[in-house]
Amino acid sequence: MEEVKTVSEIAQVGAAVGMSFAAAGVGIGLSIAIKALMEAISRQPEIANKAFVYFIVGAGLTEACAIYALLIAMKVVGMMG
Amino acid sequence: MEHFIYKINGLSFHLDTIFTMWVCMGILILVAFLMTRKVGLIPSKGQIIAEKIVGVFLDLSETMIGPDGKKHVPLLVSLFLFILTANLSGQIPWRLYHLKTGELASPTNDINMTMAMAILVLVYYLYQGVKTKGLKYFLHSFSPADIITALIDLLEMVVRPFTLALRLFANILAGEILISAFIGICAYFLPLPIMFFEVFVAFIQALVFTLLSMSYIAISVQNEH
Repeated sequence: MEEVKTVSEIAQVGAAVGMSFAAAGVGIGLSIAIKALMEAISRQPEIANKAFVYFIVGAGLTEACAIYALLIAMKVVGMMG
Repeated sequence: MEHFIYKINGLSFHLDTIFTMWVCMGILILVAFLMTRKVGLIPSKGQIIAEKIVGVFLDLSETMIGPDGKKHVPLLVSLFLFILTANLSGQIPWRLYHLKTGELASPTNDINMTMAMAILVLVYYLYQGVKTKGLKYFLHSFSPADIITALIDLLEMVVRPFTLALRLFANILAGEILISAFIGICAYFLPLPIMFFEVFVAFIQALVFTLLSMSYIAISVQNEH
């Protein structure tokens, strides 16, 4: 039987709370970006491709903030990293 | 990280990262050799694809960096193609290097790999800044406002490669851990949607790394006034 590593309970609670706040923040931030993209495309449909490229780059940068929080949460729980 | 085999000769190396990095480099060199064998005015199919990829970065660098942005394109295209190949090689079901605790297979899931690339970009844009603007790149004049700006620039010089490296590393590693967790639940078709998403993330993270490096080079080379 392999041994199972357990961490303290407050560590698990901390990881969950931290990650939820990060996910909420990123959700709001990305929604603002999508709103701006929709408005830009509906004003001027011919820039749709260019605007989409800039939006994807911006979404990648914003998503990275939630991934930082995920990394710290995984380290706290002891899963990896 | 718990998975990496390392040899200690005074320092420790992650041998599996080095091995998968060499395999990705070998794939890129092979594809580049095959694509450019017969370069002529009437292009073969491989040459069209290669010209399209390089053309996109040539246009982008002329837009962002200015008229002499073309000399920075080799570094940027190499970064983009290598990061793309490295990220995608974690999703292909091959077994390059068998570890005791399973298979985490891209070279970019190691912070050392991404930090090396980010430090390379840092050294490159510092060198370009000093070459273009001389030592005034660091300090414009000796007024208090400029000294504070110089200190903030120094802080940014430390933070920028760190965030570049950490973004790429965290995205790829989080995806791989998610896939390995899903394989633990049900290995048959459950990880498939996550693997499709990871292919998408591979493209986007390669593009984000390259575009950010391009904008850092643009900031350090351009005259603002």
